[in-house]
Amino acid sequence: MSLLEFQGVERRFPVRRGLLDALLRREHVWLHAVRGVDLAVRPGEILGIVGESGCGKSTLARIGIGLQPADAGAVIFDGAPLNGPDPKGRLQMVFQDPYSSLNPRMTIGAQLEEVVAHYRPGLTRAERQGRVARMLDEVGLVQETAQKFPHALSGGQRQRVSIARALCPDPQVLIADEPVSALDASVQAQIINLLRRLNREKGLTIVFISHDMNVVRYLCDRVAVMYLGEVVELNDSAALFAEPRHPYTRALIGAVPDVHHPHREGLPVRGEIPDPFAVLQGCRFAPRCPLAETACHRPQSLDALASGGAVRCWKAVSGTLS
Amino acid sequence: MSLLSIRDLRTEFSGPAGIARAVDGVSFDVEPGEIFGIVGESGCGKSATCRSILHLFGGAPARIAGGQILLEGTGDIARMTERDLSRVRGREVAFIFQDPLTALNPTMRIGKQIAEVIRCHRKVSKTEARAAALDLLREVQVTSPERRLDAYPHELSGGLRQRVVIAMALALRPRLIIADEPTTALDVTVQDQILRLLRERRDSTGTSIILVTHDLGVVSQICDRMAVMYAGRVVETGSVRQVLDTPSHPYTRALLAALPGQTGRERDLTPIEGSPPGLISPPPGCRFAPRCRFARPECAVGQPPALHPRGETAHLDACILTEVPDVLA
Ligand SMILES: Nc1ncnc2c1ncn2[C@@H]1O[C@H](COP(=O)(O)OP(=O)(O)OP(=O)(O)O)[C@@H](O)[C@H]1O
Ligand SMILES: Nc1ncnc2c1ncn2[C@@H]1O[C@H](COP(=O)(O)OP(=O)(O)O)[C@@H](O)[C@H]1O
Ligand code: SF4
Ligand code: SF4
Ligand SMILES: [Mg+2]
Ligand SMILES: [Mg+2]
Repeated sequence: MSLLEFQGVERRFPVRRGLLDALLRREHVWLHAVRGVDLAVRPGEILGIVGESGCGKSTLARIGIGLQPADAGAVIFDGAPLNGPDPKGRLQMVFQDPYSSLNPRMTIGAQLEEVVAHYRPGLTRAERQGRVARMLDEVGLVQETAQKFPHALSGGQRQRVSIARALCPDPQVLIADEPVSALDASVQAQIINLLRRLNREKGLTIVFISHDMNVVRYLCDRVAVMYLGEVVELNDSAALFAEPRHPYTRALIGAVPDVHHPHREGLPVRGEIPDPFAVLQGCRFAPRCPLAETACHRPQSLDALASGGAVRCWKAVSGTLS
Repeated sequence: MSLLSIRDLRTEFSGPAGIARAVDGVSFDVEPGEIFGIVGESGCGKSATCRSILHLFGGAPARIAGGQILLEGTGDIARMTERDLSRVRGREVAFIFQDPLTALNPTMRIGKQIAEVIRCHRKVSKTEARAAALDLLREVQVTSPERRLDAYPHELSGGLRQRVVIAMALALRPRLIIADEPTTALDVTVQDQILRLLRERRDSTGTSIILVTHDLGVVSQICDRMAVMYAGRVVETGSVRQVLDTPSHPYTRALLAALPGQTGRERDLTPIEGSPPGLISPPPGCRFAPRCRFARPECAVGQPPALHPRGETAHLDACILTEVPDVLA
């Protein structure tokens, strides 16, 4: 059973690659940002989506709340295909930079009231204010915050406000795109505790997008790892971190510096993420994979493993990874 | 003798709201060949400390208001004129910024940019400088360096750009490289590569490195000694293992306890409530007192407590308690 489901979602952007293309009057090329993503979000879970910059996380998130259409495939929400933002506001998003997503010229109270009024036109002013007061309380902000403007708040407080705003329409799913990446660790912990509480106490389903493996390991029930537009591994969080299967997942986990265990040996992954224009026939990780071989140059599918989880690497599936 | 000794450094920014004492009595030493880490939350004065060393304030209304910056064999840089400083910059002390794009000229091929750094300080021909640039690109492990010489910065990925900036920093064989959040804008697999590169360059050239970061994992990975800053002051310093494995100052302990990697999923994280104080009129006494779980009335009066030894040699902190309780207890 799933609440929100991505079915074969594709998204491509037409881009010109710069001076050379312009000089040669070349047509645009296609940047394939999201490729054939199948992903089912279960009710009540916190699903993590991790991957390095440009791998398509934010694009997938925007498609997931109907802010952007998919070129192919579908998003199914609550049993029906999603065409644009949900009119009842049951799908909400929180962004990385709370400053740019708040209106600098309106008090926090007025902004939140506006959102409540949009989704519940029938409420009286007093009822709207009551709801705003409950939302502020819910995210741990004192009531005086309603009279303040965004610039008067700290980064952590602003992020609480954007979470409060997302909670106004009483959503079923919250997609949080790097909500703590701009915050210091001491403040980040406050927001993570808040998301955990909303999930446990209100049953809020959360899709948590991040590049921080430590945060994801701690917060998420399941994790999808993306690389160049594709999901390359999906598993329960504990299993994924205890026994990563895909060579990219292994590289990603291995590269996270640990506070108490420095100098893990092992080879660094080669090179960097190639630009997403690269035409790659087979496994998209092959140019950087230490285990690549000829057979990797055919397309890879995301296959379920008998032991649970799914992985897009024939070697991991056949158990021939070292 | 230390390569760099910073003593009671004070740096101020003036603005409409008053004077912000971004660096307020900072002291530390950097030994030859060591990687020294500076950590702390944003706004605590890490960058201001580093920028003070070369007076690189980028036109900001900043001034060094006091203290000494003693570079071995060169004297006190805090009081140097622009003219003398220009001989120190690049040649003795080089700087690496967080965003490599700001350090590179977007309209110049990278080979030429590296060559110019060399030709600025040494009398060599264009051909020799270009050959030296090629060697430097090899040194920072840029793949197919011959091809990259003629690339423009925007044609390179973030990681390659940072390698180019490191190559420029290494060009004049400085005794000290200051790297301010050099991997913060990079992906974790690329960060790993760049950290390995910095350590490897230190090992083979013997240069010292000051590495600024807000990521305690990064410090653990490559630094030898470190300082933890809070609200313009150093609150704890020592070897990386002393500070990270047996932290003594309540702020350092709280910072470590807030990390998700340290907590099981069944427990909530332990955030530090509140936020750091403003630096225009910081609270009296210990600046961490408003957020400290162990604060007592005597913590919040008078001058901020000075660094003093805590148990082991060269492990110092600035908390007045003789015995600091466990934050998680
Ligand atoms: N409107 C657009 N036009 C052209 N290309 C785009 C557009 N939006 C996204 N892209 C490209 O699509 C790819 C995926 O972008 P996306 O923002 O989804 O990545 P991400 O995983 O969220 O990265 P980050 O970690 O940096 O936030 C990138 O190469 C990006 O440059
Ligand atoms: N150009 C500037 N003008 C005014 N204040 C500044 C400027 N740069 C930094 N500051 C102030 O100095 C303090 C320390 O900043 P900084 O050294 O950049 O911190 P960090 O690098 O630790 O994040 C902050 O309070 C910041 O607001
Ligand atoms: S398919 Fe081959 S190249 Fe791709 S991840 Fe698996 S082993 Fe590596
Ligand atoms: S001096 Fe007092 S307030 Fe400051 S860290 Fe120590 S116990 Fe806390
Ligand atoms: Mg993104
Ligand atoms: Mg800084």
